[in-house]
Amino acid sequence: MIQFFNVGKRYPGGQHALRELSFEIPRGQFVFLTGPSGAGKTTLLKLIFREEVPSEGQIVVNGRNVSSVPPGKIPFLRRTIGVVFQNFRLIPRKTVFENVSFLPRILGADTATQKRLAHEALDRVGLGHRLGAFPLELSGGEQQRVAIARALINEPEILIADEPTGNLDPELSKEILRIFEEIHHRGTTLLIATHDRETIQRIGGRVLTLEAGTLSGDQLLPSPRDLRSEADTDLITSTESDLATEGEPL
Amino acid sequence: MSLWQALAYFFREALVSLGRSWKVSSVAILTIAVSLFVGGVLLLLSTNLATVVGQWRSQAKVLVYLTPEVSQDFLDGLRKQIEAEPWVTECQYVAPEDARERFRQSFPSLSGMVEDWQEEPLPASFEISLDPTELTATALEEWLSRLREEPQVEMVDDDRDWLSQLSAIVALIKGIGITLGAVLLGAAIFTIASVIRLTAYLYQDEITIMRVVGATEFFIRGPFYVEGFLQGLIGGSLALAGLHLGHAVLLARTEASIWGGVLLESFLSPQHQLALIVVGGLSGLGGAILSLRRETLVPAAEGT
Repeated sequence: MIQFFNVGKRYPGGQHALRELSFEIPRGQFVFLTGPSGAGKTTLLKLIFREEVPSEGQIVVNGRNVSSVPPGKIPFLRRTIGVVFQNFRLIPRKTVFENVSFLPRILGADTATQKRLAHEALDRVGLGHRLGAFPLELSGGEQQRVAIARALINEPEILIADEPTGNLDPELSKEILRIFEEIHHRGTTLLIATHDRETIQRIGGRVLTLEAGTLSGDQLLPSPRDLRSEADTDLITSTESDLATEGEPL
Repeated sequence: MSLWQALAYFFREALVSLGRSWKVSSVAILTIAVSLFVGGVLLLLSTNLATVVGQWRSQAKVLVYLTPEVSQDFLDGLRKQIEAEPWVTECQYVAPEDARERFRQSFPSLSGMVEDWQEEPLPASFEISLDPTELTATALEEWLSRLREEPQVEMVDDDRDWLSQLSAIVALIKGIGITLGAVLLGAAIFTIASVIRLTAYLYQDEITIMRVVGATEFFIRGPFYVEGFLQGLIGGSLALAGLHLGHAVLLARTEASIWGGVLLESFLSPQHQLALIVVGGLSGLGGAILSLRRETLVPAAEGT
């Protein structure tokens, strides 16, 4: 669960990036964070994994006040949150396996466990066969899938993604979103920052809208699947009604 | 992750980094090698000189010159008195004719000076060998004063003055070595710090990624510390190799000269050699710690 209580963020010079943000994301929810460039989406995400510290207010992630986490404990907070970036942020000189298994390695897992976990995570994104490849040998979509696998390897309760499809063409974007949906169905809380309204409408779910650092909208969009089910229900209802009407004596 | 696993990871990463940025690393390694080489040269000189002075000091003698009219009774009495002192290891009487013979043998070209004299030109004397461990400077001074007051003693001479001067030279060389070594080592540490900081900037993206996925600062900085340590260790080893080579070459060329023999007689002790390498390693580690002391790496801003 992610909770924001009157959160504000000012950068040196006094410029406000975020103001008076209060919202709550329950466990397992799929949330889009949208808004124009410069609205504060990235700053908001950075506050969650403590790459930035709020100037005002409190942020609670999985029951822990992020602002009061001592510096030495920040890595432990980050290990519970998977993060995916627009520019993938893979280490070019390391193989896919080394990139993905980085966290288990620093946690002291043996090589066999690292391999198993990396395999599992890469299988979930359809790249189980590219363990030995280097990032620059992969396409943009594949690199993003590797980045997702890296974020998933520790089974985080929360996955946040900053414009994950921003560098990808529409087909690859669909593929990445399908993976996010699959991750969500396993119970992970997802918070995806995007300014692509089409993507949001295609997936649906909760949408938080930021404008000039303030929360200007919090709405629940039905997913196309929900709309299809609704349409099917309407059709059945109207058909039954028509049949009933047809059966009535003149 | 256990400490051994972490160290293995740090060494692997440090070696990869050294290989990747070998040109920049070479500068740091050479700087520390030159610093330790200069320090090592001065250490070598002062150690050899100190050894020689120590040997000379242990062989130092007191010479008691007697008047020409010295009596046999006085000689016997004085010898007994001298030999009774606990620090006297040997007391040899040198008769005037023996002194002349020695002069002839030591300075053949000047032997004519002592040939034509009617009387013996050189006085009789006692040559006294001492055990320096049994004797303090004050006790020696008091003893020599007592000898000088004896009626038939002409003069009492000892080697302390010039040995003291030699000791002062040794101390001066040592001081210069320590000062110069410290200054050069400081420069080397500064160079290593700059190189490590540069390397850290090269790896800035990787470090940001490591931080985001939950790596601790120990895990992030460890490879840089090991890299600095290795640079210092290699620098120290190169300095030692240079000293070995230089010593061998100079010794072969100056073997015949007294200074070559004195100053290059022996190489640094195994402890000194080890210390040279360890100082190199620790300097490199110090440079790395210095370079990453503050928050060197600020994550690149991305979006808002």
